[in-house]
Formats: sequence, C-alpha cells, structure tokens
Amino acid sequence: MSSRDAILTRLRDNRPDPAAYSLPPVARLGDMDASRARFEKSLTLLGGQVLAPQAGESLSAAIARRFPDAKIVCSAVPEFEGTVRIEELGTPQKAADVDVLVVRAPFGIAEMGSIFLSEAQLPTLNSAAHLTQHIVVILSESTLTANMHTAYIERPEFHAARYGVLMSGPSATADIQGVLVRGAQGVRTLSVWWEQ
Amino acid sequence: MKVKPVNHARAAEAFIKDTPHLTFHDERLWDLRQKRDQQMHELPEWQELRTLASQIKEHTLANLPEYLEQFEANAKKNGIHVHWAADGAEHNRIVGEILEKHGVKSLIKSKSMVTEECNMREYLEPRGVVVTETDLGERIQQLDNQMPSHIVVPAVHKLTPDVAKLFAEHYHTDPNDDDPQSLAWSQRLAARPVILAADAGMTGGNFLVAETGTFVVCTNEGNADLSATVPGLHIATLGIERLVPRMADLGVFVRMLSRSALGSPITQYTTHFRGPQDGSEMHVVLVDNGRSHRLGMEDFWTSLKCIRCGACMNTCPVYRRSGGLSYGAVYSGPIGAIIDPTFNERKYSTLPFASTMNGSCSNVCPVRINIHEQLYKWRRVLAEHHELPFVKREVMHMAGRLMGQPKLYRAAISGTETALGVLPRFALYNWLNPWGKNRELPHPVKQTFHSWYKQNRLKTKKKGEDA
Repeated sequence: MSSRDAILTRLRDNRPDPAAYSLPPVARLGDMDASRARFEKSLTLLGGQVLAPQAGESLSAAIARRFPDAKIVCSAVPEFEGTVRIEELGTPQKAADVDVLVVRAPFGIAEMGSIFLSEAQLPTLNSAAHLTQHIVVILSESTLTANMHTAYIERPEFHAARYGVLMSGPSATADIQGVLVRGAQGVRTLSVWWEQ
Repeated sequence: MKVKPVNHARAAEAFIKDTPHLTFHDERLWDLRQKRDQQMHELPEWQELRTLASQIKEHTLANLPEYLEQFEANAKKNGIHVHWAADGAEHNRIVGEILEKHGVKSLIKSKSMVTEECNMREYLEPRGVVVTETDLGERIQQLDNQMPSHIVVPAVHKLTPDVAKLFAEHYHTDPNDDDPQSLAWSQRLAARPVILAADAGMTGGNFLVAETGTFVVCTNEGNADLSATVPGLHIATLGIERLVPRMADLGVFVRMLSRSALGSPITQYTTHFRGPQDGSEMHVVLVDNGRSHRLGMEDFWTSLKCIRCGACMNTCPVYRRSGGLSYGAVYSGPIGAIIDPTFNERKYSTLPFASTMNGSCSNVCPVRINIHEQLYKWRRVLAEHHELPFVKREVMHMAGRLMGQPKLYRAAISGTETALGVLPRFALYNWLNPWGKNRELPHPVKQTFHSWYKQNRLKTKKKGEDA
C-alpha cells in the first residue's frame, strides 16, 4: 500500500465519530467599520505609512520627495512611468536592484491595514514585491473591506490567485532580544497612496 | 538499549543559574502574553472566535481523510505536486529526490517545525545540499547548532551579545555590536546573495484549505515569501492536521493567530499559495509522522487542533523559567509536553511533569485545547506504563495513601505547616525536597482551612443538622 493510502486508512480507523462534530456556519463577526480612518490606524500600528500628497502634488512628485536617493523606481501600474517597468525586470537579480516598486492593490482590509497583491498586480515576477527596498501601494478607499471575515467571504481573489499575499506594513523582526526592527528581509517600508 | 528520559529538571537548573538570561526570557515572554491580552480585550467576540476555531478544527479532524482527498484533488488541479509522507524518513527521502532531480546544491528555507521534526537538515547536508535557514531567529539557532527553543521566536533564550558573537564568527561582523537593528541588518546583507543564488526554496505552512487546494504561510520577516518566489522550485512541508475546510474559515484563525502569538493583530505577511508561478514548480509534502496514530487517542487527539501560536508557552511559569531547550524536544512548553510523548513515550516521560497545573495554558489557547487536563492525563498514562522515575513513583504512592485517608492527611498537613514555621533553612532547602529548589516555599499559615472550619462554621450549625 502507498503511504497515501496507508495514512488515509489509519485516519479512517482512528478518527472520532464524524457525526459528533458538525461544521459551524461561516463566521461573519466583529467590527464592520470599513473606513479609511480605521485602515490607516491599523496600517500605522503595523509600521506602514500613508504617503500623503503635499499641496496637490502628483504621485511621481511625492515619490521623488519621499525617496530622494532612489535610483531605480519600478512601476507596475499604467499611469506612472518610473525608470523601469516590472515586465522588463525579467529576473529576481534585476528586481533586487529596485529601490522603489509602485503597485496597485485590488483591495485593503480595514481591521489589519493589510493590502493584497497577487500575480495579477506583479506581472511575471512575484518576487519583485519582496526584493525591492521600498514599496508604494496605490489603494482606493472604495475597495476597503471591514475585517478578515468579510475579506475571505467577499473577495474573489482568494479563489482565483495562484499567489496571493496580504502585506500588513513592512517586513519586521523581533528575534534579537525582543527589539522590534522594521525592515527585516523583505520591504523596508510600505507606503499607501490613496487613489483620488 | 532503552532511551533515557530527558532530564528537564536538571537542564532547567542550569538555565535558572544564569540570571541575566533567565530574567530577560521570563520578562520577554510575559510581555508577549500581556500584549496578547491587550489584543484580546479589543475584540468582544474573542471567546466566540475560540469556540468557532475549536469546532472547525474538531470537525476537520473527524473528517480528515475526506478533506485531505479534497485538498489533494484541488491542489493537483492547480498544478501543485502533492506527496504523502508516513514519517520523517519518508519526508526527507521525498524532498531529497525532488532536489536531486533538479540538481539542487543550495536550498533556502523559512521556518518549519515539521522539517525540525524530521531532522531534514541532517539528512540533506551529507547528500551535498547546503541548507540555509533564512528566518533570523532560526538562522541564529542553525549557526549555534541548537534546536529552536520556541516555536514562534526560536532564539528567545539568547541575548544580543550571544548573537553578536555568532555573527562575528560566521558573518565577520563586529563582535561587540550591541545594536539589534544593525545585527538584523547584517542578517539581511548575508542572506540576500544566498537567496538570489539558491536553486530551490522551502517553506512550512500554517493552514491547508481543502476547498481551494491552497496552503497559507504566516510570517513577519519576508524571508518565507523570498524563499518561495525567488527560486523556480518551491517545496512546502505541512502536517496533515493543518487543514481547514473552507477559505472563509481562515478569517477565524488568522484573526487569532498572531494576536495569540505576539500580540500583533496579524503577521506582516499572510501568503496564500494556490499554484506555481509561470515557469516554476511547486510541491506540497503532507506529513503524518504519528498524527494519524494520535487521532486515535481518546484523551489526546484534540492536541491536533493546535495552530502553533505559542501562547501556552508564553504564559507558562515553568516554560518561562526553564527555557525551551531544557525540554530536549522539537516542541517545548505545555503543548510540547502533551505532544512529545506521542513521539516517544519514554524519552519524553518527564515533560508532562513540567507544569504547576495552573491551567493558564488552556485559558489562552485560541483553539481551546484542554492542555492542563491532558498534562494530568499523561501523568496517569505514564504512571500506568511505569515511565515514572523511582523517587516520583514512591512519593506518589505515599501521597496516594495519605490523600486516601482524611485523618492521616490532616495530621500530615498540620505537621507540614509546623515544619515550615519552625525548621531552619538548611532543613527545608536541600536535595531531598525538590520543591525547595530555586524557589521559596510558601509562608506557613497559622491555621489550616479544615481546623478553622471546624472551629467556626461547625459550631454555628443549628442543632439537628448533619455535620
């Protein structure tokens, strides 16, 4: 017998009575506030930032102001040029040279300040989202969902994407003597730019 | 030769002697517990979430074969290769064969307790595969040739100078660097080139979703996503109990996992893998390694509900003061003490005794595992299987006789109180009394509850009432 069949047989022999343990209906609990204010509060708690335009400046001007030393600014959105397009990167080695990556998230989660990215937003190179030093995420207030329950119930991306990541602030670690370090091995900063 | 039981008490004694490490360890984990409480108080639905999580997991475990088949069918449909490993040896062989087929010389991996269970690094390295842990804490432990001492924060028993010393040795950084920020930066700089040049990446996983064939990885550092997406080959190892039936069930678990573990609302990364990137290959290895056997243990099968948050470890007074390494097992703390004996009853026979039975572990468990009750039940099982050390067995016999006879018990108790009050320190704190080791005995009370009750309440009873 294969290991697969042996394991399944053992599980059938050993398990508790299935009739005694029914599956509860899908939960939809908690605070249903899907506001921008709640999202921003959660985002800040997890170390993310809001990139707010100064006196009506454009996204491109805001990025230049926020990242004055950036040499390679990679764009994964149609309305922003950058110095290179994500489709042109081709390899992780090239993506590792990127200073700032600009992407658009299809939705955000107010409870957690999380933004979602998948292969649809990172054409040809999922690793670009983690190899870039900084990431700027364009997000529309109208796509905010209240919490993890509503996100998993309502968003089709969880059933469609092959790679789907919820990023909640930048990478972080507290593995050395409990000291929180923002900017561990993935992005060092994560900024949200609200779509007008 | 019979395997020797882990001497948890002796290892803990060494840990306790090192005051700076002990104090930090104790306070750091208690801080995590308090942060967890703070998060819990922000969600009025917390207890309801715990109940739901428990119900979903119990249902899934009772229907595990069907859900595993559903997961496998969906994952295969999405282009994932699914493997089944009966034990650690088979897991390692499967991974080794995949790596060999692709000519892999360098493997990067994120934290996975299951690969620790399987001793995978020890298997792969003699076969010419360089395995690099990319999680900072796990890497520190790898460089120090130690097991992770905690399932969420693997190097929590170390202080900054310990890390500086290791990094100086392996990364040639300043041995006197006392800044965690710059040490973490050293890890990033050391890891990047290895990640970019690796032939394959490996991750563990927190959840399997039967409905979609997805597996979910919850991490903070970004190293798991790098390990999974940079090389063209991704292997994920998960225990068969990680399943949930529906995508929407994840809401319940993700809301509690990091809140219970670290007191943060969510991990920085919650990643859902449902299929390989274009031009890449993805494998999932489903590992049994004793789990199907455990499912048949009437008193202990619910330990399979565990989502590995570590909350029970953070709250446990014994764990906080003895350190994870003292358990001598892959899984330490209260959850380790009820899981480990299923791997090797004799070797881990001492671990269910590493508890004060205060029940805090059960109270913080997000999936409502009755951990302290299982600790108690394990003690009974071990006693029945004669896995108790001699002194403990004899003391238990005496205690049994004493507690079975109220008069004898009361005489003994009042004797103890007198003894605590009048005996000199050297008589109380010596090797014959393990309760006097590394702790102060309670102050004696002037009167036991029983004699107080006899004096006050029994006297006031009305005539004719039964005593």
